[in-house]
Amino acid sequence: MIGNDIVDLDLASKESNWKRKGFLKKIFTINEQKLIASTEFPDVMVWNLWSRKEAAYKIYNRETGIRGFFPSQLECVYQNAILGSVLIKGRCYFTQSTIKNNTIYTIAVANKEHFRRIKSINPSIEILKKNGIPFIIDSNSMLEKPISITHHGKYWKGIQLID
Amino acid sequence: MNKEQTIAELKNIVKPYIANQEAFDTLTEDTDFINDLKINSANLVDVILDIEEKYDIIIDNEAMERMINVKAALEIIETKLSEKM
Repeated sequence: MIGNDIVDLDLASKESNWKRKGFLKKIFTINEQKLIASTEFPDVMVWNLWSRKEAAYKIYNRETGIRGFFPSQLECVYQNAILGSVLIKGRCYFTQSTIKNNTIYTIAVANKEHFRRIKSINPSIEILKKNGIPFIIDSNSMLEKPISITHHGKYWKGIQLID
Repeated sequence: MNKEQTIAELKNIVKPYIANQEAFDTLTEDTDFINDLKINSANLVDVILDIEEKYDIIIDNEAMERMINVKAALEIIETKLSEKM
């Protein structure tokens, strides 16, 4: 299982005012709030953690079929700006984040070994959906392959797990 | 609580965050905030905070978890308002 999420930092700064009263408390755990308060670049930390939660949620949603809005229950274990994991209800997902060109992009996997098997998908490929979950038909095997897609502002990313 | 009135108030609250005007114009109880109105999930927090401010209620984590469509929002507003009485 895989999940991904991209944040366009310019757009996020226009769309969301994370300094709004109550905002951080609804999304982040006490430890995450401390992390945000103690960094030199809180904007980047807010959206870095957010993109990890979103990417991990996509896996959780697929594994459990549970859909809902519970960002503070997806708890980030922050190793550094790139690596970390997200814990939810006894499950653990691993995340790799990239900060570049004013975007933060996170890939989450249920199994660490899977980071090596992630492949980008061509945006022009036909994407189908089942219960809101995207997949493609592999052109060689004609089998359904689950994918994860994300877009924000002018950015789009799609990934699949290769065998 | 008058349901029609609350739906109208809710429409006013979500309006700044929607990205699908057609779904907004034809909004019903079954309208989904994310799938239909295409509200960005970070803005769902704003919707929740705006609802809290408008009705002077507190939406706890348990309620927030369900806050993904109009129907759930109406139920939560109604429950939290009745708890205030």
